[in-house]
Amino acid sequence: MWARWIVPALLGLVSFVTAKSSSGNSVLVILEPKLDKDNFSKFFSGLEEKGYELTFRAPKDTKPAILEYDYAQFSHVIMFAPETKSFSSDITPQSLVSLLSKNTNLLIALSPKQTPVYTLASEFSLTLPPPGTPLISHFPQRDDPATVIPVPVRPVTPNVVSSKLAPVWFSGIPFAYQNNPLLVPILNAPAESFASDGETDSGADAVVDAADKGGEGLWAGSQMGLVAGFQPVGGARATWVGGVEMFSDEFFQKELPGGGKPGNEQFAADVAAWTFQESLVLRIDSVEHHRVNETVPGQVYTTNDQLVFSAYLSKYNPVSSAWEPFSGIQDMQLEFTMLDPHIRTALPPVRGTPGKYSVTFRAPDRHGVFKFIIDYKRKGLTHLHSSTVVPLVPPRHDGYPRFLSAAWPYYVGAISTSVGFLLFSALWLAGDDRAGSAKGKTTKTE
Amino acid sequence: MTATTAYQVPANLSPTTVANTSSLLRIVALALISGAAIASRLFAVINFESIIHEFDPWFNYRATKVLASEGFYAFWNWFDPTAWYPLGRVVGGTIYPGLMATSGVIYSALRAVHLPVDIRNICVLLAPGFSALTAWATYMFTKEMKDESAGLLAAAFIGIVPGYISRSVAGSYDNEAIAIFLLMFTFFAWIKAMKTGSAFFGTIAALFYFYMVAAWGGYAFITNMIPLHALALILMGRYSSRLYVGYSSWYAVGTLASMQVPFVGFQPVRTSEHMAALGVFGLLQIIAFAELVRSHVSSKQFQTLLFASVIGLGLLGTAAIVGLTYKGWIAPWTGRFYSLWDTGYAKKYIPIIASVSEHQPTAWPSFFMDLQFLIFLFPAGVILCFKQLRDEHVFVIIYAIVASYFAGVMVRLMLTLTPVVCVTAAIAFSTLLDTYLNPEEPEAIDEAPKPEASTSAVAPDTSSAPTKKQKKAAPPPAGSTLAELVTKAPGTSKRKTGVFGLDTRLLVVANAIGMLVFFVWHCTWVTSNAYSSPSVVLASSNPDGSQHIIDDFREAYYWLRQNTAEDAVVMSWWDYGYQIAGMADRPTLVDNNTWNNTHIATVGKAMSSSEEVAYPILRKHDVDYVLVIFGGLIGYSGDDINKFLWMVRIAQGVWPDEIQEPNYFTRTGEYRVDDQAPQTMKDSLMYKMSYYRFAELFGGNQPTDRVRGQQVPKTGPTLDYLDEAFTSENWIVRIYQVKKEDPLGRDLKTANAFEQGKKRKRTKPSPRRKAIA
Repeated sequence: MWARWIVPALLGLVSFVTAKSSSGNSVLVILEPKLDKDNFSKFFSGLEEKGYELTFRAPKDTKPAILEYDYAQFSHVIMFAPETKSFSSDITPQSLVSLLSKNTNLLIALSPKQTPVYTLASEFSLTLPPPGTPLISHFPQRDDPATVIPVPVRPVTPNVVSSKLAPVWFSGIPFAYQNNPLLVPILNAPAESFASDGETDSGADAVVDAADKGGEGLWAGSQMGLVAGFQPVGGARATWVGGVEMFSDEFFQKELPGGGKPGNEQFAADVAAWTFQESLVLRIDSVEHHRVNETVPGQVYTTNDQLVFSAYLSKYNPVSSAWEPFSGIQDMQLEFTMLDPHIRTALPPVRGTPGKYSVTFRAPDRHGVFKFIIDYKRKGLTHLHSSTVVPLVPPRHDGYPRFLSAAWPYYVGAISTSVGFLLFSALWLAGDDRAGSAKGKTTKTE
Repeated sequence: MTATTAYQVPANLSPTTVANTSSLLRIVALALISGAAIASRLFAVINFESIIHEFDPWFNYRATKVLASEGFYAFWNWFDPTAWYPLGRVVGGTIYPGLMATSGVIYSALRAVHLPVDIRNICVLLAPGFSALTAWATYMFTKEMKDESAGLLAAAFIGIVPGYISRSVAGSYDNEAIAIFLLMFTFFAWIKAMKTGSAFFGTIAALFYFYMVAAWGGYAFITNMIPLHALALILMGRYSSRLYVGYSSWYAVGTLASMQVPFVGFQPVRTSEHMAALGVFGLLQIIAFAELVRSHVSSKQFQTLLFASVIGLGLLGTAAIVGLTYKGWIAPWTGRFYSLWDTGYAKKYIPIIASVSEHQPTAWPSFFMDLQFLIFLFPAGVILCFKQLRDEHVFVIIYAIVASYFAGVMVRLMLTLTPVVCVTAAIAFSTLLDTYLNPEEPEAIDEAPKPEASTSAVAPDTSSAPTKKQKKAAPPPAGSTLAELVTKAPGTSKRKTGVFGLDTRLLVVANAIGMLVFFVWHCTWVTSNAYSSPSVVLASSNPDGSQHIIDDFREAYYWLRQNTAEDAVVMSWWDYGYQIAGMADRPTLVDNNTWNNTHIATVGKAMSSSEEVAYPILRKHDVDYVLVIFGGLIGYSGDDINKFLWMVRIAQGVWPDEIQEPNYFTRTGEYRVDDQAPQTMKDSLMYKMSYYRFAELFGGNQPTDRVRGQQVPKTGPTLDYLDEAFTSENWIVRIYQVKKEDPLGRDLKTANAFEQGKKRKRTKPSPRRKAIA
């Protein structure tokens, strides 16, 4: 079963070995005409420097199509069209979702305007505020409008963005997370921010009234997301950004209220790296299983066998564009499952063999069709899943222990009866005449 | 004897000539009977093709293939991971291997003489082959009861009687195919052992008993019939050392041998079903001991004491068995056993047994259908047995009573009744023919022909067992009477009319022959029309009368075989498990070996729940495809909607809180599939899969279900969690693929709505804080 997982990964390795990303280097940028390409030059050139091939396209262009004959034409799609209301026919919410199941990554920017992309967010378990309600914060004190906010970067999900980044400039809408384990929060709103219609911010009462009218409470606080990743089943990644200005040259250079350069440039690069499957990309190269003291995997195992299960993991290294053995996971578990896990045990890395994780355990005393299951899901990291089916059979008819001490009474009984019968037969046949005649007499009397 | 005969018989023939001629005729007759028995079972092959029939035979066939290709030990240790996924099935320990072993031996033997016969053909033709042996065994058995002519009649009857053919047509590769031969031969050997007091025949009986144990679960019938016979003889005061030797050698050897079958194991000493045999064995030992002591001691009082102690010991033994059962050392009667006494028991407590159609009580017409005129002769034969009442006749009487009861309780037990009906009917019929064909004319009317009744119908007391002399006085076979007559060359009678005249004789004999002719005609008709359908392939008639083959099952199974992954798990109701395993070669959740009620109930629950409830069950069991049988389009009545209530009932037995049978009926208590069907019914996976896109076939007209005769709604059900993968030509088999989880983690209903472009209601975040006004 793991073959299903591993074969595409290996193919990917072969065909895109020169790419920075683990899944390919072609990027389609759908940039709406209103946004000036030059205003995002730093972000785009940063990508190109890494080795990506960018193709630009306006939302209403028909070429190049994102899907042709149901095949994804690009490895990554950047949707910088937050205010476009009508797209050409190949870009629909459905086609964007189908891209994800074809291992194409999405980076999608939003704006306070209601667009098809805006409604698509709810399929990703993100709830957006009503249209026209951008995020507002009056802190810290600054000259900029209240909608342009420096957001301190706190590590919501570890390792997705670099640690100790300076605050980043943000302008756009927040969103609320629904309860979906596939969501990966990347950047949350500052605690003192809130969403409000109208950029004039006419007073706190108006905000509260509006919140009550909508019946959905106050759009405020640090639980709101501004940048969120999403890990669909299958390994592709999608990232939603509340406002496209984050990636602009202007915000890259805009000085922070307290002075200093903002973290936008690094933040954008990190978000792109995670989205395009450069960072935190793992895979299971292979799994193997065999009995203790054997090397060949068994077709079947017998109950109570001592089994060894090993998995080989790799992590993608974007610097060298290569998969490297990875032993950094300490909390991986192996399940030996038939309907329910009969055994759940730690699968620790093996010291001295990079990338190898191995465990020895006793098979349960229960026959059936079992599966070795690795199911390692951590936010941000590629979800690892491997399932290997193996039947567990009862011992062969000659595989049971023999000559048990508990059986001695039975052995003695059987042997003594046999010997007794032999003796009796011998005596009967070899007995002298007298006995025979006596026997004859008795039979006569009957 | 007087020298008057009713008609001319050839004169001056030596007794050897007569004996040789009749012996030759018997051999020829038996050969012809065997030929007829085999030939009449080949309708299935001629009308359809050489194919394995029905359900269970498919498993037997598959197991035989494993045996033939991988050898006996691999077969013995065979663990089938594809059955009962993911539980698997320890096949070697859960089957009666006799049938497969028999085919395997024949296969190897034929290969050894360089006859490379396909294993399938051996399996298909095994049952007809063994029916010829059954005819022979019945001949031997009946010969012990009356004489050779009755034996030949019995052989002819059993050879073509539909009650037995129904289980042994070519392709019906099931345990019963060889079991009836083993049953009759074991009984024959037992009668022989009991009559002659021969340990040799006792052991032969034990060996065939072992073969029977290895071949069919119905061996318990022998296990209880023989002790019952022995007990009846003891109670009738007919204990003899012959009985002792015969029974003891059969029981000791037979029980030890039967315990070698892995599936039986220690059951012969641990379950109540086998306790009768053990009890009678113990009783015989006590009686034998008492007899021995009595032969040495003459005191009247001592004998009374002894008698009391024998009774006491017997009671003690019974109490011990009861006590052991109570303590749990001996397993109590199983549910299957109770259902034999209370026909409503199974429906109430073990619906899985009651859901099998062949476990239903027998309808009256099927007695005539299966046995025709034999059923009328059957009581007459039993009465004739009463008239003689030798030890072996007691056996036939007991067998007749027990088997008639069981045949009335369960359709499938008609099979065990059939042999005894053939035997007794043959006795009755041959007595009739003997009487009317006997050329000898009595002098006076008073001397009606009853030559043997007085000699053998003695009622011996316990002290004097029937000796060899008495047995010699048993009725001389008809052949020898004829031989005597022939050698004596008597004169011919002048009387042509009257009770003893030729006209009466001719009338009766012609009538008898007429009955026989009608019997053969009936048997042929029933066999060709009712019992030769493989049920894998269905036949119907075109308007012009030609045959139209409906081959949906194989079409669908081969689709599965060729279009799905090799490890794709297929869920269906258990009826089709063996066929899917045999023809499609895919893992199944449940099959006809209904050993795990919970697993079957799980499938029943998935089928009778809504999609949302069923989906997690399907995913948990790694189900890739779901297969349903739907007969609504062409009127195939054995489909899943008609079996659906059993699924509900079985599921209710395990999850009474979640599945309730009344929810699947309308308020008025009707089982409907049309507009009035209750919502639970319409939401159930089974209903949805059966009628999915059914209405589209009718192009806007009112769609009609031909089996139920009801008009189903014009807008059919929708499926969110399954995709239609395949529907066979006549819509009998429909296969659905289970969808994978949505990549975005939504439930599939929402995902489907999104795919179809439906507007989603705007979701609101759960308010975390209340606004302070």
